[in-house]
This record gives sequence, structure tokens and C-alpha cells, in this order.
Amino acid sequence: MVNALLVEGLSLHANGQLLLNNVSFELALGERKGLIGASGCGKSLTASAICGLLRPPLSIATGQIILDGRNILDFSKKEWRAVRGRHIFQIFQSPGTALTLAMRIGPQLIEAAEIAGVKNPKMTAIKALHDVELDENITEFFPYQLSGGMKQRVLIAMALILRPRILIADEPTTGLDVLTEYEILSSLNTMIEETGASLLFISHDLRVVRNVAQRTLVMHEGQILEETQVDMLMQSSYKHSKSLAKAAARLVHSC
Amino acid sequence: MIKYLLIRLASALPTLLGMTIVAFAIVSLAPGDPIEQELRAMGIVPTIEDLNALRAKYGLDKPFIYRYFDWMSRAVQFDFGTSIATGRTVINELKLHFPATFILAISALFGTILISLALGIAAVASNQNIASFLRALTVVLVSIPSFWLALILIYIFVFYFGWARLVGDGSLRDLILPVVTLSLGSGAALGRVVYERIRAEMCEDYVRLAIAKGVSPAKILLRHITPRIIGPLATAWTNALGALLGGAVIVESIFGWPGLGQLILQAISQRDFPIIQAYLVFMGLGFFVTSLIADIIVIITDPQLRRKNSHE
Amino acid sequence: MNNFSAKKANPLQKFIFNLKKHSGLSIGIIILFAFALISLSPLFITYIEPNKMDLLARLSPPSSEHILGTDHLGRDVLSRFVAAVPVSLGAALFAMVVILAISLPWGLIAGIMGGRVDAIMMRMADIIMAFPTLIFALAIIGFMGASLEASIIGVAAAWWPSNARMIRALVLAAKEREFVRAARLAGASDLRIVFRHIMPQILPPLTVIISLETASVLLALSSLSFLGIGAQPPTPEWGAMLNEARPFFNQALHMLLVPGLAVTLAVLGLNLVGEGLRHLLDQREPYKW
Repeated sequence: MVNALLVEGLSLHANGQLLLNNVSFELALGERKGLIGASGCGKSLTASAICGLLRPPLSIATGQIILDGRNILDFSKKEWRAVRGRHIFQIFQSPGTALTLAMRIGPQLIEAAEIAGVKNPKMTAIKALHDVELDENITEFFPYQLSGGMKQRVLIAMALILRPRILIADEPTTGLDVLTEYEILSSLNTMIEETGASLLFISHDLRVVRNVAQRTLVMHEGQILEETQVDMLMQSSYKHSKSLAKAAARLVHSC
Repeated sequence: MIKYLLIRLASALPTLLGMTIVAFAIVSLAPGDPIEQELRAMGIVPTIEDLNALRAKYGLDKPFIYRYFDWMSRAVQFDFGTSIATGRTVINELKLHFPATFILAISALFGTILISLALGIAAVASNQNIASFLRALTVVLVSIPSFWLALILIYIFVFYFGWARLVGDGSLRDLILPVVTLSLGSGAALGRVVYERIRAEMCEDYVRLAIAKGVSPAKILLRHITPRIIGPLATAWTNALGALLGGAVIVESIFGWPGLGQLILQAISQRDFPIIQAYLVFMGLGFFVTSLIADIIVIITDPQLRRKNSHE
Repeated sequence: MNNFSAKKANPLQKFIFNLKKHSGLSIGIIILFAFALISLSPLFITYIEPNKMDLLARLSPPSSEHILGTDHLGRDVLSRFVAAVPVSLGAALFAMVVILAISLPWGLIAGIMGGRVDAIMMRMADIIMAFPTLIFALAIIGFMGASLEASIIGVAAAWWPSNARMIRALVLAAKEREFVRAARLAGASDLRIVFRHIMPQILPPLTVIISLETASVLLALSSLSFLGIGAQPPTPEWGAMLNEARPFFNQALHMLLVPGLAVTLAVLGLNLVGEGLRHLLDQREPYKW
């Protein structure tokens, strides 16, 4: 199996606190993997570290993040810029504030298309909007004129345009209603199928992860506990894995 | 857009009215009788009858409201009376000195904008050491009083190098040192505003997305951040004009620049009330108009506000 | 986040660590402390009488007798500088007290009452803010006659509205915090909310404002004295000293440097403290690109 991404012994601290402790995992080409854990366990930090988006006082203590055989933690700013977008892209937790408020949707998508180096940025942007089932006239809209679900789909359209080899989706459906959640997840599936990207799907909610990935990492207090089949989580020997599975099960039953 | 402008103007009317009341009230409430002082200054010791007659002649015996409306009705025709000291009409005195101050203030405003952008962007773009040096430089520049800076510049450039002259004829060459004096301090102060605005935006989620997309720093600054901060910066810059107009008084006095500042300082020492009053009104109006311009820029650059106003 | 391995630092260590990290703040505090010491120093050191003229020693450069030289009337520049500390800084502090005495209740009442009261109070502040501040102060001095008192009143009259606006903004932000809203819903009285919940919250940012505003008030007052319409001779005041130095500074550079540096350092100290405190309060870090 060929690795798309290899994270080895990643530790991260801030103000003397260890926030990620020896995190290691790999993501194969075209693989979809979940990363689950309770809020504040370090999932988003892992994502930020992989995208080089840590800001002080956060800093990486040890570890490697290998992409194409090179450790991206050693990259210069310029090298990082070349990696971002086309190789690794992230869809963030809060679609409400993620898009630039003072720019229309169109230019924001076209900017991504220019970075991806496509021939016809405008057409690419419109096609991507169609792929996530959005009308092309929203290119004229400003972010505040869109609903949260629409904004998240705009971000997925952006991912479609950029065609990254690795997409990290950090709780993309949190705070959205169940119907919108379904639409987002199917857009995301479309995107992954079309681009063949590897996906790291971060969530605290096992139900959602089950929709996009078969395998998942379980994180607890800054450490990876285990990697397992999503359906096997109930039988896990780890207390925390089990409780995550149980919480999801309870929610399904109560619906 | 035009509708918004009208609404904005209408809502500003009470402020304008209030400004005239304040400008008028300061005179009326001022201690000391200008007529009595003027007569004493001329070496005449007036009798009570003379005083009363003169007061009646200038309408000073009437109630406040009456005198205010009287003053206002003449003020809207640009009739601010005559200068007690020179005997010329106030409006002529203002006209005579206004151009020099206008040129000085506008040049200083441009200087301020340039310096603030240069300092602010340099601080954002540079590495930690240079950035902290620039921050330190900024704090020092902000703390130097303009009158001292002016004297030091004179010492260096007039006395030491002989590159500039102190008693000029109001030509552009003589403008350089006054403009540098005025714009260094306010440019530094606003450079900090530019820096902090950009830095605050850099903490926002949308910048994170732009970085994740792989957008270059220059493009993030120009395309994503600039539209968000240009409105607030326009407000800050025009507010700085208020400080520049005040600072112009000091700088004009030091460099002998023949502007309104010279006029007002003379008027204060001679207790020439009509001049002081008209000066206050004019400076208030000028400042008011620039704030209006800043507000329009804010509206134009904020899509949410722009839409709201075009739909109302 | 959970704390796995960090050792808890005690508050004193933390404070010292913060001072090291915030060198600007420490320098500011040291400068202000030094000025306080200088203003108290006449209690322990005998200086030459600041107004004592010695026309034979006019414009003399620094010497063992006059450490910072003499001015155009042969007065000792050092003792005039020292005697000016309580005048210049005292005037600025006094003006700031007056400004706060007006703007604090003004901003608090407007912010807490809201609605029409707020609108009217802020409109009144806006009217004065519509004038350039120094020019408004100039006008007031013009009608009162030039004196240090008039310049303090003029500056206070011109400076309070912007302070009131800032304080109101702080109150509004504090009012929106959840526990204040909860206290309000629980039926706490306005007065109790002000003193128990809002004041403690606005106090830290208020110290930032006070520090920075005192700096700008000090600049304004010394400018007015420099223009000859603030402190009047022979009062030792830095701005006035510079004004007196104007015809002579080509011959006696020390007359230009001493009072100018004094104003700059005092303003710098206040600005550094204000900026440093603000930095302490806002620890958000930007994304790196």
C-alpha cells in the first residue's frame, strides 16, 4: 500500500502543556479514514499541524509529517505555499466565518481555480458549484447571503476545484441540521470519488463518520488510542472507544 | 447611495446645529467683557453709559437665544463680523490665511497615510526582530512632541546642514519640514492602527482558509484583508486630520507658515473673539466634511451595509 | 485542554516571567517610577532655586556647578527640570482626573441606560468631538485668557467626549457577557450590576485607556505651554521652558534637549505602560503565512 501521508511521533505543546503526545498514523492513497474523539482531545490540532496552520504559542516538539517522502515540517514558507491547496486542503469547522466576508463567492472560487492552475477558472468554478448542487448565480453573492449549509458546500466546491491529494474535513457538519448534514456528506463523497483524494474525516460523532469512512482513529487526551473498523468500535478494549460507540448508538436509537 | 447620503446629512443636522451653539456659547459664557477690554487696550477708560451704549450697539444686552439667532442668521451668509484687532472682516482674515493651512494639512494627511501604510505593512511582513524594532520605533515616534521634533529638525536641517531655511515665502520647498514634522508622529500612530487592524484580521478564520488554499501573502493582504480594513482605516485617517489641524497651529507657529494657526494664536493673545469663534466653526465644519467622506467610504467597502442601504 | 505534564508556576514567578516577556511594559514602569522619584527628590537633595537668575552665567553649557547648564536668564536648567516634574505631570494627571470625573459617569450611564438617554448623551459628546480636539481647547483658552488653569480646562473639555465614548463601548461589551445578562435576569439592581459585574470587567481595559490618554493629555498641555498659552513664565514647565529656549537653542543646545527629552520620556513611559497592558490583555495570535 502506498502512503499518501504518514504522521510519525507527532508531539505538540503550548506554554509547557503537552497537547499532542506521540501521534502516529498513516493515510493511504485514496483512503478514507475517520478521526474521532471527544471535544478538546486534539483532533483539530492534528489537522492544523498537518496543514501548517499552528499559531503561537502552539509549537511542534517532535515528530514528522511525511508527504511524498519529504517531511513537510522542514518546509520553508514558500514550499509550504506550494503544498497547500493542491496537495493538502482543509475544510473547517465553522463555515460561517471561513469564507472572506468582503468578497463575492465567485472570485473566491476563481482564486482557488487559479491556484490549481486550470485553464478556464470561471467555468471550473461554475462546474464545481453544480457538482455540489448549488446554483451558479451564487457566484454573485456575498457569504452573509448564504446559509451555513450552502457555505459549507461552497468550501467543498473549493476542494473540488483545488483537487488536493489529501483532504482534511474538520467537523464539516457540526451545527447543521440533519438534512443539511446529509447533503454535505453526499457532496463530500462526490468530491472524493471525483478527485480520488485521500480523506481524513474528523468528528466527535461516530454516526457521521460511518457515512464516509470504514476505518477510524480514536483519539483521547492528545494520544491515538487505536485504529479500528468503525463497526468494531463497540468491541474495543478501550473504555473511551466504547463510550464513543455507545453514545452514537444511543443517538441512533432515540431518533 | 444618494439616498443614504441624504439620510446621513439629515442625521448630522442636529450635530451641526449643536456645533454652532457650542461655538457661540463659548463666547457668551466667556469671562470678561470684550468691549471693555478692547477700550482699555486702546487706553480709554469707559464710563458705564459708554459701555451700555456700546453693548446695545453690538446687541450684547439682548438674551442669549436672541443673540444666537442673530449671529447664526449672519453666519450662514459668512458674516462673522469684524476682527477687533485689525478691523478687517473676519471672513477676509480667514480667506487670507486658509490656503496655507489647507495645503499644509492636506500634504500632512497624505504624508500620514503613506507613513502609516509603510510602517504598518512593514511590521506585518517582517520577521519577529524587525517587527519588534518597528513597534519600538513607532512608540517612540508617537511620544515625541511635534514642537520638539520641529525644533530638532530645524537644528539639524537649518542650522547644521543649512539645507532648509526658517523664514520662507510659503513656497513648496518650505513645506517639507512642516509636513515631515506633522506626519511623522501621526503616521507612526496610524501605522500602529494599520498593523493592529491587519493583525486582527490575520486571526480570523477566513485568513486561515486563504492560507490553506495556498494564496500568497501579498494576495491575502490585497484581496482578502484590504476590503475589510479600508473602511475603518479611512475613518482613522480622517480622524487624524483633526489632530493634524490642531498640530498645524504648533507647526505654523514654529516654521512661520502663514496659515490660520498664526491667526488664531494672535487672536488668542489679543482676545479677538470674532476671529476665534469663526475659526472654531470653520475647523469644525472642515473636520465634519471629512468625517462624512470617511463614512461614505465605509459604506462603499462593506457589502452588507451597502446592500442594506440600496434596498432601504 | 488538559494539563498533562506542566508544572504550575506560582503567581510571582508568572509575574516576573510576564515582565521579561513584556519588556516595553517594564521599561514604561521604570520610566514612570523614575519621574516619581525625581519629583520627590527635592525632599532629600537641595537644588538651586529654580527661578534664581544669574545673568553673568547666561546660556552656560553643562558644568560642575550647573550640571545641565543654565538658560537665557542664567537659571539652573536641572533644578527647573526637576521643579517642572510636578507641574507638567501634575497638570496632566489633574486634567485626566477631571476628564474621568466627567467621562466615567457619562459613559457608564449612557451604556447602562441605553435607548433614548444613551442617544442624547452620545449626541452631546459627538457635538464636541466634531471639533478637532486641540482647536477646541485653543478656543476655550482664547475666551478664558491664557493660563495653566485655562489650558487644563480647555484640554479636559475637549478630551472628555472621546473618553466617554470609549467607556461606553467597554460597558456595552461588558453588558453583553453572559454572566452579566444572567445577573440582570436574576433581578439584580442596576447599581449592583454596575459595581459588582461591570466595573471589574471594564477596569483592566480602562487602565489602558487612562495610561494612553494621559500621554496624549500631557502632549497637548505641553504643546499649549510651548505656544505660550498654557503655563506662564516664570513657572517651570517643560513646554514653557522649550518656548523660552526657542530664540537661543542654536547657542545652547542643552536648553532644547533637556525639556524636550523630559516630555518625550514621560509620554513614552505612559504609552509603553498603556501598550504593554493592552498586550497583556489581548493574547490572540495571528496565523502565520
